[in-house]
Amino acid sequence: MANQTLLATSAFLHWKPVKALNFTVEPRETLTMASFAAAKGKKDALAAAIRAAYGADLPKGSGRVEGNGIAFVWAGPDQWLAIAERKDGRDLESELKAALSGIASVVDQSDGRVVVRISGSDARAILAKGIPVDLDARAFKPGNVAITHASHIGVILWQIDDKPTYEVALFRSYVDSFAHWLLDSAAEYGV
Amino acid sequence: MATPGQGSGTGSQPNRLETGGLVDRSRIVRFTFDGKTYTGHPGDTLASALIANGVSLTGRSFKYHRPRGILSAGSEEPNALVELREGARREPNTRATVAEVFDGLVARSQNRWPSLDFDVMAVNSLLSPIFVAGFYYKTFMWPSALWEKLYEPAIRRAAGLGRASDEADPDTYDKATAFADVLVIGGGTAGLAAALAAARTNARVILVDENATLGGRGVDDGADINGNPAHEWVRTVEAELSSAPNVRILRRTTAFGTYDGGTYGAVERVSDHLAVAAQGVPRQRLWRIVAKETVLASGATERPVVFGGNDRPGVMLAGAVRTYINRFGVLPGRRAVVFTNNDYGASTVAALKRAGAEVVALVDSRAQISDEVKRIASEAGARLLLGAVVTGTLGKKRVTGVTIHTRTGEEERLDCDLVAMSGGWNPNIQLTTHLGSKPTWNDKLLCFLPGTLPHGMSLAGAVAGDFTLGKTLVGGTSAGSAAVTAAGYAAVSVPVPKAADESDAVAPLWRVKSPNGKAFVDQQNDVTESDIELAEREGFRAVEHLKRYTTLGMATDQGRTANVNALAIMAEITGRTIPQTGITVARPPYTPVSLGTLAGHHREKHFKPTRLPPSYRWAKENGCVFVETGLWLRPSYFPRPGEKDWLETVKREVTTVRNAVGICDVSTLGKVDLQGADTAAFLDRIYMNGLKTLPIGKCRYGGMLREDGILMDDGTVARLGENHYFITTTTANAVKVVQHMEYCAQWLWPELDVQIVSATEQWAQYAVAGPKSRELLQKIVDPAFDITDAGFPYLGVGEITVCGGIKARLFRLSFSGERAYEIGVPARYGDALMRRLAEAGKEFGACAYGTEALGVMRIEKGHISGPELNGTTTPRDVGLGGMVSTKKDFIGHVLGKRPGLVDPERPALIGFRPLDRSQRLRSGAHFLKRDAQATAENDEGYMTSVAYSPSNGHWVGLGLLKRGPERIGEIVRAYDPVRGGDTLVEVVSPVFVDPEGVRVRG
Amino acid sequence: MRIACPYCGERSLDEFLYSGDATVKRPDFASPTAANEFVSYTYERSNPPGMHRELWYHSAGCHAWLVVTRGIATHAITSVEVARDVALNEKPATKDSI
Ligand SMILES: [Zn+2]
Repeated sequence: MANQTLLATSAFLHWKPVKALNFTVEPRETLTMASFAAAKGKKDALAAAIRAAYGADLPKGSGRVEGNGIAFVWAGPDQWLAIAERKDGRDLESELKAALSGIASVVDQSDGRVVVRISGSDARAILAKGIPVDLDARAFKPGNVAITHASHIGVILWQIDDKPTYEVALFRSYVDSFAHWLLDSAAEYGV
Repeated sequence: MATPGQGSGTGSQPNRLETGGLVDRSRIVRFTFDGKTYTGHPGDTLASALIANGVSLTGRSFKYHRPRGILSAGSEEPNALVELREGARREPNTRATVAEVFDGLVARSQNRWPSLDFDVMAVNSLLSPIFVAGFYYKTFMWPSALWEKLYEPAIRRAAGLGRASDEADPDTYDKATAFADVLVIGGGTAGLAAALAAARTNARVILVDENATLGGRGVDDGADINGNPAHEWVRTVEAELSSAPNVRILRRTTAFGTYDGGTYGAVERVSDHLAVAAQGVPRQRLWRIVAKETVLASGATERPVVFGGNDRPGVMLAGAVRTYINRFGVLPGRRAVVFTNNDYGASTVAALKRAGAEVVALVDSRAQISDEVKRIASEAGARLLLGAVVTGTLGKKRVTGVTIHTRTGEEERLDCDLVAMSGGWNPNIQLTTHLGSKPTWNDKLLCFLPGTLPHGMSLAGAVAGDFTLGKTLVGGTSAGSAAVTAAGYAAVSVPVPKAADESDAVAPLWRVKSPNGKAFVDQQNDVTESDIELAEREGFRAVEHLKRYTTLGMATDQGRTANVNALAIMAEITGRTIPQTGITVARPPYTPVSLGTLAGHHREKHFKPTRLPPSYRWAKENGCVFVETGLWLRPSYFPRPGEKDWLETVKREVTTVRNAVGICDVSTLGKVDLQGADTAAFLDRIYMNGLKTLPIGKCRYGGMLREDGILMDDGTVARLGENHYFITTTTANAVKVVQHMEYCAQWLWPELDVQIVSATEQWAQYAVAGPKSRELLQKIVDPAFDITDAGFPYLGVGEITVCGGIKARLFRLSFSGERAYEIGVPARYGDALMRRLAEAGKEFGACAYGTEALGVMRIEKGHISGPELNGTTTPRDVGLGGMVSTKKDFIGHVLGKRPGLVDPERPALIGFRPLDRSQRLRSGAHFLKRDAQATAENDEGYMTSVAYSPSNGHWVGLGLLKRGPERIGEIVRAYDPVRGGDTLVEVVSPVFVDPEGVRVRG
Repeated sequence: MRIACPYCGERSLDEFLYSGDATVKRPDFASPTAANEFVSYTYERSNPPGMHRELWYHSAGCHAWLVVTRGIATHAITSVEVARDVALNEKPATKDSI
């Protein structure tokens, strides 16, 4: 027993999958995430390094771009959250530390945050019950990002496609409360 | 011609007209009122259904218990307040005029005992001289001791409005935010015209209306638009708006408040019209609507006339009479007297005549009226009494006649069962005044009109003083176009629907002189015109004084039918104009909002979110008792079978740590990652102690102050690299510390290169404490890492791996005073690591411990925590004075040196134990010199933290005592009058265990 | 009230924390009159009618500190600036500028 590896525990232990006709909720369990922030005076160098390594133009303001399997999500002034599938041992903290040495500080967020994918034509009405941001198709589009709260739980929210599909990143400890709010809000739609 | 009757489809509703109205006559709904079963139709309100069934008595009044009926047909209703539903869903004080009937509705009158017909408290009516304005202040003043025991219970029993349910509300409530280019408030003809003009540009439009059906006054008056009945135009517009993807119509939704920035609060009564809400559907929804532009088309409310007995059932607002006839197809009376001061009397006479009622007389206070009105009265066969007024009503529970004072000064009696009265119209300006705008008085229309409008708001229809149908359509269309243009859309030309402009001429008539009986101004709070006269005589002339002295306008209807009349009467008495007398300004909410709706999803344990630590599941499986710390649920203690109370459990946990090893989840401590070339300099300015000199791979205890020199938080600072620090905060202050650091980094010292990232949730962190802690850790730390005392001494920090390559951070820190470590792993491994440590610890006799044992051990060691970091203490107060750097600038440095904060007389941290070792200590007890009197002047400080110390076998305490450290050995009183405690305690060192600090270093 | 965060766009009041006067500047701790200057900096505020420059924190959003110019009677907001930029403009750069 002594030094057997430890098994990861899902943050979504108490979740039931939601697959209604017009509303689905799907935890994204297998992500590697890291936040990075530009060092003083290194904003341009950081943008260049990301462009060189991943072919992506870091969004200067609120926004999300992709490059080489990584989604770069704006996470505040001069800060981004990088998200990728954790397959083949990919670890964004070490990968970005190597790529951005001296130009950005990198912090592992793979466990601190969890990401939930929310999709379907009822999603806007359901999310409007806790998220005070205008998600109408005219106001919020794929690639847009909002840092806000969902029923008093801090979230980073972005849109993936026009179905619409959204992803919400939140701190791990809030997962059950978030689920309670989301399912409560979805009940009116037969979920 | 429609006639009331008992024809097909009306069940036994004697006052249901044969035809007309918009109710669904093909269906019948059954409901009860005070236990008796009645029928109505979908589309009825409770009020219209009661009228259909000939029920006119609906309640008793608040103060005098006078019989009351239905005054209005809308949300302004002061009288017909009823209890709806039963059991847990019982809801008092709902207005019968807005409650929709449904099959199975149970409604009861309220404020009567034992029954509505025979009400004992109606004797109040005879005692009315003592119930005049200000009677509470005058009658129950003295002796004040009687208030609580006698006066208040008696008043409450006699004066209650309805009864709230004692059971938990079984319904759910919802909140949502919506955004609009143009918000239209009010779905009458003006609002519909505005919504249509805005919607055709493809702008996002939200239309809210408080009724179940749209159309407002235009439909209520049975008028024509474009040559057809108004409701047909309404149906066409509604169909277009409903099918437009850019329009959202919220029916049964009251916009109740105007807030800054184009924000409006609204309540949608999603399921109030159903017996029970559908599965998953909320009862009500609270909307926050954010609009670029808003068209307020909230209409107007008719004014009653103040005359004797104007509260008797059967006295109704004239507009409401038209609404009941035209919208609901019910006839409120068969023999009507119409009493008015304006030209709308004519349309009331015509509507009554059309519905088959006899119109006994049109009593108009004006001496001169138009020929058109005269013609209509004459066609209806109504006597025309010009320059005359109704002075009183006859009858008891229903009006049977009126007394008239004619133009020539004669008294006359007329038989009737309905008085339709109109004193003119008050625009519903409330939403324009919520942000402080003052309305202006209009002498021609005899009403207040909105003053300066809130940014982004415009008006349409009656709220703007455009009372006539034609004007509402013109004004609505142009307001909609203007609003949508202002919101950034190119206006589309919309044809204005055509309708006639009826005459809206009006002359002042606020009250009738020498009324025959009590003349009510505020019917809900039973305020009469003589109460206003009394208030004036006693000096309460200012409108705000008048309100408070008489309670006028302070009931749940906010005086919507009362305020302007009261103001006008006060103006008349004092010989001033109405604007000189005062204005009426409203606060939100426009109509009552239930608390359940404001709470929404956030009730009971979901009042706020709950945060669960990474090994929550393991703790739960092991019988853990949790404690709320901020939003977190933290393990408090882990009772085992056979342990009789928490104290026994905590003793065992403490003893295990002191003798073997214990494991505690400390994941909830705030953790912040700081990087950047200036991080060391940055932290040096935030912490009171020096951190620049902290070697890489080491950690240090640190404290931070507020700028005023008071301690803000404490924790540990670890240096992981040249420019990489990792700090912990207390659980409670994690968010505040990050905010503070960002303030410093962004505002105070933006030139520094530092990046701040919260890492609280990334790491599951466990304290492993006790003499066997290293041996336990050795079982999981990968062999490549040296954790011997030589390789990993006290205050060491290392990035290591555990369990075959899982990255981890190890800190050699101790809160308990024992050899101890904190080990952090990525949160997803937290639960598994806890299981592994518990399993591997068995051979060492390990146990898990919670915040209780943690608290006991820190008190035994004299370490400070929340009770000492209480927002009043300086570093010196809690024994950390020596840590404070004198060389550098840091937050709190300068003000922390103020004489008052370094005064040696200040209470300072020291330890206590009971003189009689068997006695228990209480935190919060105040210290007195042994023989001192228990007075505030003799107060010398207070006990901050106490615990039963298993290591000492008695209670120990920490406290703040004047010159405490100089008084070791002295006996003082720990005085606790709240809990009756008075204990002699000995002042001792605050370190009760291992005072030399040998164990922590191993 | 709605505040237009330069980063996030217009958001409701409940995402922000108010944090007082943005016109006071933290004094130099080494000044001979530091004690008085810090008292004034920490405690002394005038409260004139009209427009105020205030510090706000986008706590439930991007965590930016903001300088908001607001009429305290009308709640009208005439400008929202990034506090870091305001501070850097008012302070001679001591290091390489961004
Ligand atoms: Zn922001």
